[in-house]
Amino acid sequence: MKNVYMYDGDFLSLLNTIVYLLKNHLQVENIKNENYNPSLFENTIHLSIPKQEIIIEQIVSSFGSFVLRSMYDVFLSEEENKEIILYYFFRNALKYRHKIMYHRNLKCVSEVLRISAFVRHEIHKMKGFLRFKELEKNILYAEMEPTNDILFFLSLHFRKRLKSEFWIIKDNKRKILSIYDKKKFVIVKEEEFQLQNLKESKEEKNIKILWKTFYKTIGIKERKNDRCRRNFMPKKYWKYITEVSEEL
Amino acid sequence: MELQEKLKILADSAKYDASCSSSGSNRKNEKGIGNTAISGICHSFASDGRCISLLKILMTNCCIFDCKYCLNRKSNNVKRAIFTPEEICTITLNFYRRNYIEGLFLSSGIVKSPDYTMELLIKTISLLRHKYHFNGYIHAKAIPGSSPKLLKELGFLVDRLSANIELPTENGLKLLAPNKESKNVREIMEYVQKKHSRNYAPAGQSTQMIIGATKETDLEIMSKSSSLYNNYQLKRVFYSAYVPVNKDNLLPSLEHPPLVRENRLYQADWLLRYYDFKVTDLLDQQNPNFNILLDPKADWALRHLEEFPKEVNTCSYYDLLKIPGIGVKSAKRIIASRHHFTIHLEDLKRMGVVLKRAKYFILCNGKYVTNKEFFNKDFIEKNVILEEKSVLTTNKEQLRLF
Repeated sequence: MKNVYMYDGDFLSLLNTIVYLLKNHLQVENIKNENYNPSLFENTIHLSIPKQEIIIEQIVSSFGSFVLRSMYDVFLSEEENKEIILYYFFRNALKYRHKIMYHRNLKCVSEVLRISAFVRHEIHKMKGFLRFKELEKNILYAEMEPTNDILFFLSLHFRKRLKSEFWIIKDNKRKILSIYDKKKFVIVKEEEFQLQNLKESKEEKNIKILWKTFYKTIGIKERKNDRCRRNFMPKKYWKYITEVSEEL
Repeated sequence: MELQEKLKILADSAKYDASCSSSGSNRKNEKGIGNTAISGICHSFASDGRCISLLKILMTNCCIFDCKYCLNRKSNNVKRAIFTPEEICTITLNFYRRNYIEGLFLSSGIVKSPDYTMELLIKTISLLRHKYHFNGYIHAKAIPGSSPKLLKELGFLVDRLSANIELPTENGLKLLAPNKESKNVREIMEYVQKKHSRNYAPAGQSTQMIIGATKETDLEIMSKSSSLYNNYQLKRVFYSAYVPVNKDNLLPSLEHPPLVRENRLYQADWLLRYYDFKVTDLLDQQNPNFNILLDPKADWALRHLEEFPKEVNTCSYYDLLKIPGIGVKSAKRIIASRHHFTIHLEDLKRMGVVLKRAKYFILCNGKYVTNKEFFNKDFIEKNVILEEKSVLTTNKEQLRLF
């Protein structure tokens, strides 16, 4: 039988679980969140460990903030084995301390760096690809289906950029929304928030037409290169990108 | 005229400008709308695969000049339009709020006089900045021949200020743009370089050259770029493959824009800026043009095979950069890692270093990656060209469709 340790599903709980397992020298085959369906040969173990926030500070002071951010990036990814990758990474971090990130010859380090880069890359891309539409009462509303759970970092960006607007960003894949009221944003589950049936504002249609006109005009037809376009703007995002969604 | 039609005309006339970068500025959002990202953000990609980050438009396509290569030249019979400053503000702000764009790229044909045109640009951008408190990215084209007072005013409003030299040599300019004087562009560059600061065009300046409209060699073009980088600290020189929009017996008749050549120039441009190469390393009087079949770095390496293979565990950062297939990122990773462990072949792969091309040129912990017998010019050249060809043919197919 393989030992699979279960955690709450949030980052803090995962970190606490990893530390507990390492401290007690327990044999670990895998770590999974509560929704996991174990196979016949797996033995699930539920630990009830208190979630201590101090662990965040400890990681920053012993390994540096870059290590913490990279671990959090990995946690936000959809990587199937992210928990166990983070476990091995943490174990090596105890040995190499601040210098852990230079040890790219270790599989867990190269994996953490690869996944973290992938998540950050998507955050950066989505800062450009997200499309708001204007609803009545001057509310800006956007939907997306990113591969990774990037709503929080995206909200940080738009909190600065669209400081004096009301906006809502919805992640359709995870059924969560970020709502900003010109002061702060909160992330809530879909069922906790009822968006009244607001129509698009009067201007919205015209602005969309103008944008599509611009988009069609700005490409040089003698240089048409669809492959290049798809490389930079993968089709998985097109559904919500106003100017190309009709081409799907 | 309807706003939609104006936008169509004035975006169509602006599309040949290659620059679309929105990087290098760090403007904060105080109380209005927008900020800039130091890395720049691409918001969309057009049908030609080029990034769209700024609303790229002309103020007007009316022009008193008659440059042979330009769609908007005086003697062309095209529909003319002019935006009002308020119209530009409306479009910019509405696009920006919806996250369509990162900001505005405003250029213009020359209407009435350089100063008059410049005043129009200043009026528009000043409205955006002061009336609407817009803090997004703005790139403006300075109009050659306008007064220094206006150049000063404009620079304090924008993130990037630029002027196009259009053609790499004086003769080319005289031939195709008889109304333009290279002196005027040079004066703008000198001025912007002198004034450049956190408040004055913080993202610096760039310029553009048209490739293939005149007979200049790659050597002449690259020498020009190199002197521009050295003398004016330009952020970028853009190369724009000539697209035949006008018929004129002074212009070459091309079937396709010279895209491969444009690509080689960009590759070489990168080598100058980040890889410590000099123009004279890459080209000389005997070989004044780039090899169309090989990228400039591989071409250089094959002509200097005596310097290879290089040991990745010991050679310097700049030596690493000279290896085909190894870029700035890989070189930095190798340098950072080898203090901590000896790099073996499988480590390179794990570090994300792409070996497809580099494998012919490196030693890894004393070992040559493939069979040492094959370390000769003919074998490597054949393989590298084969690989490159597959990329080129797919690109050509793309073009042939149209």
